[in-house]
Amino acid sequence: MDATAKPAAKKKFTGKPAGYGMLVIFIFVAWLIFKILSPSNFGSPSQMMTYFNAGLMAATGAVGFYFVMVMGMFDFSIGANIMLSAIVGCVFANKLVQSNTGLGYVGFVIGCIVTGALVGLCNGLFYVKLHIPSMIVTTGLALIYEALGSYFAGGQLQTLPSNVRGLGKMPGNLIVAAMAFIIAYILLNYTKLGTYTYAIGSDEFVAKNMGINVDLYKVLAFVISGAFFGIEAILTISFGSSMEAQTGMLSMSRNFVPTMGCFFGLAFRKYGIPLPAIFLGEFVINIIFYGFIALGAPTAIQDVITGLALLLIVAITTKVRKGEVVK
Amino acid sequence: MSDEVRLEVKNLCKSFGITKAVQNVSFNVYKGTIHALIGENGSGKSTLTNMLTGIYSIDSGEFILDGKKVNAKNQVEANDQGISIIVQEIGTLSGLTVAENIFLGHEQRFIHGGFKNTGAMNREANKLLKEFGFDRIKAGDMIDNYNFEDRKLVEIVKATYFKPKVLVVDETTTALSQEGREELYKHMNRVRDYGGCVIFISHDLPEVLDKSDRITVLRDGQYIDTVNSADVTEEDLRTLMVGREMTGAYYREDYGEKISDQVVLSVKDVTVPGIISDVSFDLHKGEILGFGGLSESGMHEVGKAIFGASFDREGSVTLADGTQINDIPTAIKHSIAYTSKDRDNESVVINQSIKDNICLPSLDQIAGKSHLLSDRKQNEFANKYAKEMSVKMVNVNQFVSELSGGNKQKVVVARWIGKDSDICVFDSPTRGIDIKVKQDIYQLLDKMRKQGKSIIMISEELMELIGMCDRIMIMKDGKINGEVKRSPELSENDLIGMMV
Repeated sequence: MDATAKPAAKKKFTGKPAGYGMLVIFIFVAWLIFKILSPSNFGSPSQMMTYFNAGLMAATGAVGFYFVMVMGMFDFSIGANIMLSAIVGCVFANKLVQSNTGLGYVGFVIGCIVTGALVGLCNGLFYVKLHIPSMIVTTGLALIYEALGSYFAGGQLQTLPSNVRGLGKMPGNLIVAAMAFIIAYILLNYTKLGTYTYAIGSDEFVAKNMGINVDLYKVLAFVISGAFFGIEAILTISFGSSMEAQTGMLSMSRNFVPTMGCFFGLAFRKYGIPLPAIFLGEFVINIIFYGFIALGAPTAIQDVITGLALLLIVAITTKVRKGEVVK
Repeated sequence: MSDEVRLEVKNLCKSFGITKAVQNVSFNVYKGTIHALIGENGSGKSTLTNMLTGIYSIDSGEFILDGKKVNAKNQVEANDQGISIIVQEIGTLSGLTVAENIFLGHEQRFIHGGFKNTGAMNREANKLLKEFGFDRIKAGDMIDNYNFEDRKLVEIVKATYFKPKVLVVDETTTALSQEGREELYKHMNRVRDYGGCVIFISHDLPEVLDKSDRITVLRDGQYIDTVNSADVTEEDLRTLMVGREMTGAYYREDYGEKISDQVVLSVKDVTVPGIISDVSFDLHKGEILGFGGLSESGMHEVGKAIFGASFDREGSVTLADGTQINDIPTAIKHSIAYTSKDRDNESVVINQSIKDNICLPSLDQIAGKSHLLSDRKQNEFANKYAKEMSVKMVNVNQFVSELSGGNKQKVVVARWIGKDSDICVFDSPTRGIDIKVKQDIYQLLDKMRKQGKSIIMISEELMELIGMCDRIMIMKDGKINGEVKRSPELSENDLIGMMV
């Protein structure tokens, strides 16, 4: 075979620099548009920091959710998981604070993460055992998680004790988010779990033939995803200080932002920066959200334009090959 | 050739529902040999090797490797027992690097304290790639950056770097260019030379006779015979495979017939950027026009361009009535058929039934004036053409994914025969098809030609182009590099000179 032949892929303007370049452009363009439209109450350095902080919350959940999405599965119980984990963590924190053990933070953090992981475990087990599409399984389970949240909350607004809210602001939230990022990065790049995640996403049948326990790794992906949503719950309730149990699928409104961040990750996977893209993508999403708030745009208009803008961004970055089947 | 048995196949059986795919098959494979396994499509070759490599479970019987019973549950277990396989289609996984593909399922040696040492894995993979002579492929690159042939080279490394005792090569050569084949042969010989054995599945009988030491023939899932390659001819093998002497012509036997002056399709200055440029030719009524060349010469894109399936195509494809063919629906509407070389991805709907696949482009015709589709009509239609193509199946409701490669191809051809298309573009129509069905397809093409249908035949098998075509265009570097007319004196060498 021709020893001088080169790989088929074009090397120009690809790779990490191109990916980061594109993300920076998105951030700048989003900032510029709203800065021009609303120069007085949008886009100052301190305001940009606020948008970034808001993005950190969803990004921590999204980096875990990435494992599920790469394998070709989906999760409609994200919002219910965040809500349930936050309520359980808050209940733990309150009990431990009241008992003066000094373990308020421990109970809070463990309560949130373990609950999130258990929710992920349930999602994964039901999915692999029932052989039902993940979307359907997680939608059904979301109703149960909402009911559980309502039960644990006892019909009351759950408020986090004031002395355990440090993770809702700088530098606590940044440290938690950075730790989540590092853990996800290591799992994805330096363990066989990461390799198997991509292998199962690429061809489940072949992966099975390679001796990979596909069901086990799918469950693991859900557990990781759930645990990361537990971390998002920590940041969410620490930032907002309280959480109210929601039922009737109202929790699903929390699905959107982490999912969109995950789409950024999938779109930028080909540039080799899926996880950084999730963080920076969430930043872009929050710039747009806060931009509309600065403009005083009606919620319906905000939703329409945000949805379109995000679709546009993902379409630009995804750039599927001509003829490639997109499902 | 050693007399020491390496692999013993004993009374092996496997059924899928009521289909008995392998029935009580027994034979021995010796150390240091290339042992061919041949038979018609659906004869049980792939089922047998899939049991050996852990892809299928064994119903009864056993494999004994170096005196020990082996029963792998998956390919990694098979590798651990000294058995590996190179498959016909793509066997590497997208989204992983070259190194990750090579060591998939065997990462443990690079994992310390739960963490994968990517650097060490890449270094080891680069070392192997260099040893194999493929050092232009880089271990850290995503596998998606490489073309089909290069990915096959990665598979060769993956399947043989640990010096397997048994290497299965399952119809791999049909998917490779001549250069790719030569690389594969080199590494098959290497396995043989260190005392391993190669189970070589191929429909190309000259290749089988040339490359193997012994040949086992299967028919309808049953063991027929094992012969020494040196003691048999192609004709002997055909007879063993089919179970009777093959009668009638293999290729066309006519020479000197005048091609009709009536042009049915005119291709002018067709260019697909980066693939083909300025391709122009006319296709005449009742003509078989061949396209040959190296795999990457652009000939496969010509078929797509005619069918309106190429992207960014420039130039024109015009029918005799002036209709421009720019997209697939227009092509099908105007009675153009197309079969792709990439059968699983572009020709069959893999998770649908044989019936659905055959009926798909003919639904309007089947429904008739009522525009209502009945199961009965579709069954009748599918059965008629599946039978005509001798598809080996339980019934037309069987999923195409359960068929052997050759039978899938028969379904594709049956689909277009059913459509009764006037212009047929067949890209690699006999790829992975056994000798008997090849003959049937050649006779079918000849019959279609005589009925006035026009055929474009794209093939990497020069002998079938020489045997079947009225004219042959040879492609090189995306352009037509030469044209030859049908003649009894025409040889492969005449074409090869224009190809390289």
